[in-house]
Amino acid sequence: MAKAIRQINKQIPNPMEEQAQAIGEILKALADNKEGILSALAILKNLREIGILDALHAIMENRTDVGVIAMQQINQPGMHNTIKNAIYLFNFMGTLKPEQLQAIMGGVTKGLDRMGESIKNQEQHSLWKLGKSMRDPEIKAAMTTMVEFLHGMGESFTQHPSQELH
Amino acid sequence: MSEHSFSIRINEKELTAQPGQTILQVAQSHDLYIPSICYHPNLGTIQTCDTCFVQAGGELVRACSTKAVAGMTVDTLSKPVKDAQYEAMSRILENHELYCTVCDNNNGNCTVHNTAEYLEIEHQKYEFREKPYPPDNSHPFYRYEPDQCILCGRCVEACQDLQVNETLTIDWSRERPRVIWDNDVPIDESSCVSCGHCVNVCPCNALMEKSMLGEAGFLTKLPPPILEPMVDLIKEVEPGYKQIFAISEVEAAMRQARIERTKTVCTYCGVGCSFEVWTKDRQILKIEPTHEAPVNGISTCVKGKWGWDFVNSDQRLTKPLIRKNGAFEEATWDEALDLIASKLTEIKEEHGPESIGVIASSKCSNEENFLAQKFARAVIGTNNIDNCSRYCQSPATAGLLRTVGLGGDSGTMQDIETADLVFVIGANPAESHPVLATRVKRAHKLYGQKLIVADIREHELAQRADFLMHPKPSSDLIWLSAVTKYIIDQDWHDKEFLAKRVSNVEGYIKTLDKFTLEYAEEMTGLSQGDLIKAATMIHEANSVCILWAMGITQHSGATDASTAISNLLLITGNYGRPGTGAYPLRGHNNVQGACDFGTMPSWFPGYEPVGNSEIREKYEKAWGVEIPKDPGMDNHHMVEAIHKGKLKSLYLFGEEMGLVDANSNHVQSCFEKLDFFVVQDIFFSKTAQFADVVLPAAPSLEKDGTFVNTERRIQRFYKVFDPLGDSKPDWEIFQEVANRMGADWNYSHPSEIMDEAASLAVIFAGVSYDRLEGFNSQVWPVHKDGTDTPLLYEDKFAFADGKARLFAVDWTPPYMAGEEYDLHLNNGRLLEHFHEGNMTYRSEGLTHKVPGTWLEVSLELADERNLTDGTLVRLTSPYGQVKVRTLVTDRVKGKEIYLTMNSFEDDEAVNYLTSSYHDLVTHTPAYKEIGVKMEILEATGEPPLPKHNHRFGNRVPQISVRVEEKWQRPDFQAIEDLFGNGGEALGESNQAN
Repeated sequence: MAKAIRQINKQIPNPMEEQAQAIGEILKALADNKEGILSALAILKNLREIGILDALHAIMENRTDVGVIAMQQINQPGMHNTIKNAIYLFNFMGTLKPEQLQAIMGGVTKGLDRMGESIKNQEQHSLWKLGKSMRDPEIKAAMTTMVEFLHGMGESFTQHPSQELH
Repeated sequence: MSEHSFSIRINEKELTAQPGQTILQVAQSHDLYIPSICYHPNLGTIQTCDTCFVQAGGELVRACSTKAVAGMTVDTLSKPVKDAQYEAMSRILENHELYCTVCDNNNGNCTVHNTAEYLEIEHQKYEFREKPYPPDNSHPFYRYEPDQCILCGRCVEACQDLQVNETLTIDWSRERPRVIWDNDVPIDESSCVSCGHCVNVCPCNALMEKSMLGEAGFLTKLPPPILEPMVDLIKEVEPGYKQIFAISEVEAAMRQARIERTKTVCTYCGVGCSFEVWTKDRQILKIEPTHEAPVNGISTCVKGKWGWDFVNSDQRLTKPLIRKNGAFEEATWDEALDLIASKLTEIKEEHGPESIGVIASSKCSNEENFLAQKFARAVIGTNNIDNCSRYCQSPATAGLLRTVGLGGDSGTMQDIETADLVFVIGANPAESHPVLATRVKRAHKLYGQKLIVADIREHELAQRADFLMHPKPSSDLIWLSAVTKYIIDQDWHDKEFLAKRVSNVEGYIKTLDKFTLEYAEEMTGLSQGDLIKAATMIHEANSVCILWAMGITQHSGATDASTAISNLLLITGNYGRPGTGAYPLRGHNNVQGACDFGTMPSWFPGYEPVGNSEIREKYEKAWGVEIPKDPGMDNHHMVEAIHKGKLKSLYLFGEEMGLVDANSNHVQSCFEKLDFFVVQDIFFSKTAQFADVVLPAAPSLEKDGTFVNTERRIQRFYKVFDPLGDSKPDWEIFQEVANRMGADWNYSHPSEIMDEAASLAVIFAGVSYDRLEGFNSQVWPVHKDGTDTPLLYEDKFAFADGKARLFAVDWTPPYMAGEEYDLHLNNGRLLEHFHEGNMTYRSEGLTHKVPGTWLEVSLELADERNLTDGTLVRLTSPYGQVKVRTLVTDRVKGKEIYLTMNSFEDDEAVNYLTSSYHDLVTHTPAYKEIGVKMEILEATGEPPLPKHNHRFGNRVPQISVRVEEKWQRPDFQAIEDLFGNGGEALGESNQAN
């Protein structure tokens, strides 16, 4: 004869036992990761000594306020330009062909070397000599590439007049 | 290439096309991508987004609405096409702010995101403009954010023409159009049935599950004062959307590491919807259906889409309980299992194996049911095993076994969808099988399918029917037979079909003599004209499906009435062809599977009879045991045997028998007499209160397995979570009990159980987990090579001679409670809660929509007895009483009243009123045959159903989204005009889209 019953006697977990079990698990994890934990503690010690932990703690505590202030600071025209320029520069780097850049940078290095020499020696060529140097194959090659560069730049300006205007 | 297929050229490639396909469908069938935001395979063509423009024969046309014709040349890549698509996308982005990385819909499957990325949208051509409407957060489960809404109309199409609830429209007449609910009321106060279709198809984040908001993304929980300037900043500095997309894609990929997506099969009815569950740890983020799902595509209902909170309920059983000194004590598994094994062994030895019974669960998997019957037959040594189909569809099964040979639906949803005429008798699919009902509603609304409903209650399908018949309760066999006789008398019967494929034709027809129109009119209350009309509609339809449920099967003459339905289908030749057949709609997710896998007293798995010695030997050999040759007791027998002291012990799992079986007081008093009672469930049910041992089981989301839906379709579900606490999957529990009783079972995964079932039962020969991987499914019978059988009886019926049998039946008068019980009490399920509500009341949102049970009374009765919404009444039958509040409605008429069954309270549950009278053949209780009397306890009170329930809403029916109204707006410029003829005028005006 089993009457309907609703009473359920739950084994209420003993808080002391639960805590002891949790501590046991923590200790085991600590022991298993001894090296890592000790290094991390050393880093924490240093962070605390120089006050960074306190600062981080304060930021976390007031994360919404800090976040709002940070966003306000970032969300300024000057900052917009910085971020935009950074992105453009980043994109620009991506469009360059490495071998071209290598050739040009090689040329620039060499040019800078000669320039340095010339400054060191305080050389000053006469106009005549400057004019004559235009006949040098090196100068001609450099001038040709510069003119081609200008051509390309001009082409881009005339084909996409509003490219920079978003 | 099939006979009618032809080919078209897209981008210089020859592609095969089928008749009726659009350019977009041809492209998609060959994995060729054409942008298409508003098109969805389950919805069809909507024509609002314009991103699918292509060139066909030199003209710019929408790929989604232009039919492919032989020899057509299509270009999807030329400049005008690209320009047109770009323009369309730009117009969409005027309505939608791209902040993908901080959007909860950025999960790799956002249609707007992916299309904008494909079209290489670099910048906002038309500046994003907010709409002058606040977000609508009124509904408990989802929200609408007009600012993000691109007005593609997918949600409207889904609501109007797929779910066919007709709640959503787009108001194109406003300066800024938006989606509105009913006549522009808050969502929660509308006719919205919370099915989730609109949210499922939204291509962006305008309609979203509230459970996703702030949870899906890594950054989406940021508080608005940080989030808003962050969105502004990103927009300010963005060099182009390309980079933004790159970041959002990385973020979406990161989310996939954290959000699990697991395929499951719904457990809320027999339709068998499948979908993914998205979870983060134990948190359910959303239910995500997919068009791959074989039954439902992207369709869901309110329970399947939102009703899963019960899994994490703190009321779940998590530890075994043992009854000691008038209370339950928590115990270890070892204690509980040892006790069960020793008690069952003791009872078996003392009183014999026939003194033990097992009640199986239609909510548990096929594998679990297979093991349960194996446990009963091989370990205990009894055929005393049954499942809850005894409470619902056993009479239908019996009726079909008599006439056509297999106890399942004759075809699939596809047949129901494509039938000329659907005849629904005593079933309320719009609430009990919601997704199946959507297919009927859609075919009826869009494709001219005819619908007849015979019911005593005017439920949703009844309201939509072309013809509604309201017979007297329990008189169905008579009018069915009269209609059949009239069809024969008119010489409308399918003589060729009958001659070739059916036996006992002459003998049967003679037995119809008494069912004249006059007799039927007198007995059923239906006019002769109505009967002739029904017969004529059946005659005029080329294909007929008959759907029925508890309105037929819960009567004294239920098997015979089911047989009468099958006879009518045979007489009219409506078997074995697409769009025809008998569809007893299964109520629980795995009623079909529980029966199929042998938890029945007289059948082994696959309907192989226990009484057949050859079959019994097959199992005896496989299991190495002896199995009793006589069929065992069914549920009803068991209750009576307990009362008589013959059955001493019961092992019951996943079944609230104490409330769900008829005549609850009688059933509960039998539980009290048991020597030993084991109940295995996920919650501490009413039935569990009588147990000696209660075992904590795991629901479907916490295990692997398969279910069989009402179509006979076998589908796999996968484990989403680990079992909660110490609970365990039912199959693991059976194995442990069996092994403690001397069995040596070693199943490590349900797939091994299925392999065993497939090796034994002929109709599952080719079933395997590999073939059921993911969204694959098999409809039994499945041949060894894996070929399945979606449509039965195409060549032969399931009898030795291959012929169907007309089976003569006669009417059984219903049980009458007596004259003083002057009201006819009908009862049944409702949309928002599953059965008695043990699972669904754990959902706050579902409880918000329907807090409890109610009693529907007619306008006439309300008038006569001074009833109003909220009157508290006591209903008394000869078997018990309940106290419930009334709701006055025209869904019921005269002295017929209707009590919803969503209660597990002792003073509300309907089965305290029902009797133990039952179907003569199958012992299914006659739940639908009860008279009650009513007294008023409080004249007024709180109405039982809140005003924010969909039943009080006002539907706004229309076809699709009415895109023509968009095109007629003065600010709309047709894209084909801009680019089609080399036009140059690029309008910068405000675009309607």
